[in-house]
Amino acid sequence: MAETKRFKNKNLLIDTQRLFEFGGEPFPFKEPEFKKKISAKQTGNICYIRERNIRMLKNEFILKNPLRRMGYKSDDILQTGEFGAVMARAGVGKTAFLVQLALHSMLREKNVLHVSLNNPVKKVSLSYREVFNRITAQYEIHQTSQLWDTVLPHRFIMTFRVEGFSVPKLEERLTDLIEQDIFKPDTMIIDNIPFDDSVRKDLTVLKKLALRQGIRVWFSVRTHRHEEPGLDGLPIQLSQVAELFEVAIHLVPKGKQIQIEAFKGPGSEADFPDLLLDPATMLITDQS
Amino acid sequence: MKKDIHKVRNIGISAHIDSGKTTLTERILYYTKRIHTMHDVKGKDGVGATMDSMELEKERGITIASAATYCEWLSHEINIIDTPGHVDFTIEVERSLRVLDGAVLVLCGVAGVQSQSITVDQQMKRYKVPCIAFVNKCDRSGAHPLRVVQQLKEKLGHNAVAMQLPIGLEADFQGVIDLVSMKAIYFDGEKGETLRMEEIPPDLMQSAQDHREILIDQASLFSDELTEAILEEKAVSEEMIIAGIRQGVIRRQLTPVFIGSAYKNKGIQPLLDAVTQLLPCPLDVENQALDMNNAEQPIVLSNTTDKPLVALAFKLEDGPYGQLTYIRVYQGSLTKGDAIVNVRTRKKVKVGRVIRMHADQLEDIESIPAGYIGALFGIDCASGDSFVAPGMSLTMTSMYVPDPVISLAIFPKDTKSETNVSKALARFTKEDPTFKARVNEETGDTIISGMGELHLDVYLERMRREYQAEVTTSPPRVAYRETITQKAEFNYLHKKQTGGAGQFARVAGYMEPVQHEDLVFENQVVGGSIPTQFIAACEKGFKKSMHKGPKMEFPITGVRIVLNDGASHQVDSSDMAFQAAARGAFLQGYAKAKSVIQEPIMKVVVETPTEFQGAVMTTLTQRRGMIVGSQDEGPFSVIEAQVPLAEMFGYSTDLRSVTKGQAQFTMEFLVYRQVPQSIAEELVKKTAAEKKNVA
Repeated sequence: MAETKRFKNKNLLIDTQRLFEFGGEPFPFKEPEFKKKISAKQTGNICYIRERNIRMLKNEFILKNPLRRMGYKSDDILQTGEFGAVMARAGVGKTAFLVQLALHSMLREKNVLHVSLNNPVKKVSLSYREVFNRITAQYEIHQTSQLWDTVLPHRFIMTFRVEGFSVPKLEERLTDLIEQDIFKPDTMIIDNIPFDDSVRKDLTVLKKLALRQGIRVWFSVRTHRHEEPGLDGLPIQLSQVAELFEVAIHLVPKGKQIQIEAFKGPGSEADFPDLLLDPATMLITDQS
Repeated sequence: MKKDIHKVRNIGISAHIDSGKTTLTERILYYTKRIHTMHDVKGKDGVGATMDSMELEKERGITIASAATYCEWLSHEINIIDTPGHVDFTIEVERSLRVLDGAVLVLCGVAGVQSQSITVDQQMKRYKVPCIAFVNKCDRSGAHPLRVVQQLKEKLGHNAVAMQLPIGLEADFQGVIDLVSMKAIYFDGEKGETLRMEEIPPDLMQSAQDHREILIDQASLFSDELTEAILEEKAVSEEMIIAGIRQGVIRRQLTPVFIGSAYKNKGIQPLLDAVTQLLPCPLDVENQALDMNNAEQPIVLSNTTDKPLVALAFKLEDGPYGQLTYIRVYQGSLTKGDAIVNVRTRKKVKVGRVIRMHADQLEDIESIPAGYIGALFGIDCASGDSFVAPGMSLTMTSMYVPDPVISLAIFPKDTKSETNVSKALARFTKEDPTFKARVNEETGDTIISGMGELHLDVYLERMRREYQAEVTTSPPRVAYRETITQKAEFNYLHKKQTGGAGQFARVAGYMEPVQHEDLVFENQVVGGSIPTQFIAACEKGFKKSMHKGPKMEFPITGVRIVLNDGASHQVDSSDMAFQAAARGAFLQGYAKAKSVIQEPIMKVVVETPTEFQGAVMTTLTQRRGMIVGSQDEGPFSVIEAQVPLAEMFGYSTDLRSVTKGQAQFTMEFLVYRQVPQSIAEELVKKTAAEKKNVA
């Protein structure tokens, strides 16, 4: 009969440093040859193998990215300096979608700056962890904690209160980060910015900033059920600033599924299939 | 004991050093007749204030810093509870803030919001303690209370509103105008004990009316009744205003500001009135306990006496009659002769003497009902222990005690210190489960371990001050660990049959990484290739090997060992032989399992004025930190980062210098993570060098 027992390494509590040994009984016999062999063998190539494993895991992850099927030419969808919008009604999964975009960038070792209005850092980082866990579970990838540790440095969360947010403030912070060599984002995600009448001015400033710093910017745009779309078919919020956006993706609940429709940009051509969001996990699936 | 819980206030008084907290407390105790003479902090009589906390409780009698001091005002019972301001991230702070229902934030009328005010304010914010503010020292030159109100808004982000206006300022400070009753209050008598109410001086009337309007406007946000009265242009009564403000205070959305000068005995009685009128009683505050049976899920307590008991021992005091345990009851009541259960130890104890602190003596009482604070004699417990009625498993503080991550050796300077050190350590380890002390048997050194550099620093300082124990210390050490990253098989034969009693044992199986466990041992041996009686010996052998990694001699964690084959000899196999074989097998497997060193990573949260944000981030990244994010909180930014503990030594000094002392940080253990290779190599070198030295 197999039996399993679990132990707590008591030494951790007591013997935190070998100089201060306490309680541990000495070995009844010595094994110097072993120790020598081990130390000679063990230095050197450990990290290499570990890194290779992580790289393989990452590649697997990237290849499985369903967004690749939407016909976007580059993995980033956006080019540097371009704007993308993810539109949906409240609660459909804009943030989850953006987090997936961010994770796919982070896996390719691209830095992501996540700017959230209203949500605290803790909540944002939790949503990353959650989406990450769901993706790894979906793809049956194990050893997740090591992978997580390697992607995490590629993310920086910045949160503001909606009323305290202003584009000049963001610009100042961002310049600080870049100039002081703390974090240089490749992609920026701006979640929850209100698309009201003053948004055009803010976006124009941001566009300049994005072009100057070579950053791709994704926005979440909340649409409303009762509002008629603009003349170009885009939701009214976006239609007023449509020319600033290169890509627009709309999340539309259809029956039990959420359809991902490309409104603007390369994915909008008809020959590419629309993807779906699994409403249970909010993950992008490719089973249309 | 009076039983009207609506008339109980459990409050704290927090302030920046030197803004007059001691003097203020002295006055409060005098006016509430708790003491009969007043002494000044640096008074001519040489006695010093009763509560002189600057001298760290030199006067042990009834110092505020000792625990809870009780006084009465307008038939309200006020418990003034010590809030340790020096420690920022030990559970002791959490404990005392849990006991408070409200607080008085004392600010200097000249200096305004100072760095320490920011610290205490943030602590209160973290634990959601409602507060009122008192601008002290209005008699000093340069005092400007309304500027302080403005600073409260700008620097601390409070919705501050003046409740009073000064009549004269600086040397000419005579009294205050109460904006609620619209009366001028003067403080007559030798010690300001007689209040004289008069009409507002005509030259101040306009300003008073303007400020009253602002006050009513703010109060109306929290009271429909008041809003209605204003809209319908009815008379606004004092009660309505007070009720509105009280709601705002309880929700932490309004901070009423009172003014005065404790030194000149002005403005204290109105402040005491405000404590009784505006700060919440225990019923107004929601308290949560953690359900031990349900993964420490929070449960809201009911604050009533008919439910089963839940109480928290928040402070221990060594008195002449033994250990006095200060306790706050959150639910139910604690009655003499009751059997109660200490949740931590699961031991049932019988309540002996129940007392409460009275004027200047202890009074024996029958029971402590919910919301009250009292003390117990002769209960053996540690501070922070929760007591509940038998059959319950709720705890007020988390039972999760993280492993210490840093340790240092301490050496008493002389024989006298030696005995004091042991007394101090016995006390501290009882008070704080994250603080550990032990003796290294090999070297005889005393080692203390804790959750961070500052954590240990505080205890060293307390040893010095409270126990007169002078110690020197070794440099702090980080608790590294080793673990394996891949599966490896072992098949080891231990054989010694060359004369004497022979030894023979073979163990085979594999080891693999496992998360969140130290060692998992699984026996899958079939067919008796290792006789059952020797399995325990194998287990013991593996367990012992985990104490010290062969590579760096750090403890090993995260290993699952599966034993699936082996061999034994009828005569020569023994427990000894199997233990030895297990150790050999462990080393064999470990060598192939790609071991790595892990270090403790701390979650560091820095709260800094926004202008220093960039500088603070740089200090963190320089320390191998990874910044998780920054949160904009109006005038403040909160930066969250993950930094290796090894790099955090001396951080407080660094942070102070880049932010002019205006930022503060908290640090807690987060996770063990692999040490980068360059650092690992350095560690290997260091260990090798140390080994040489030892040899």
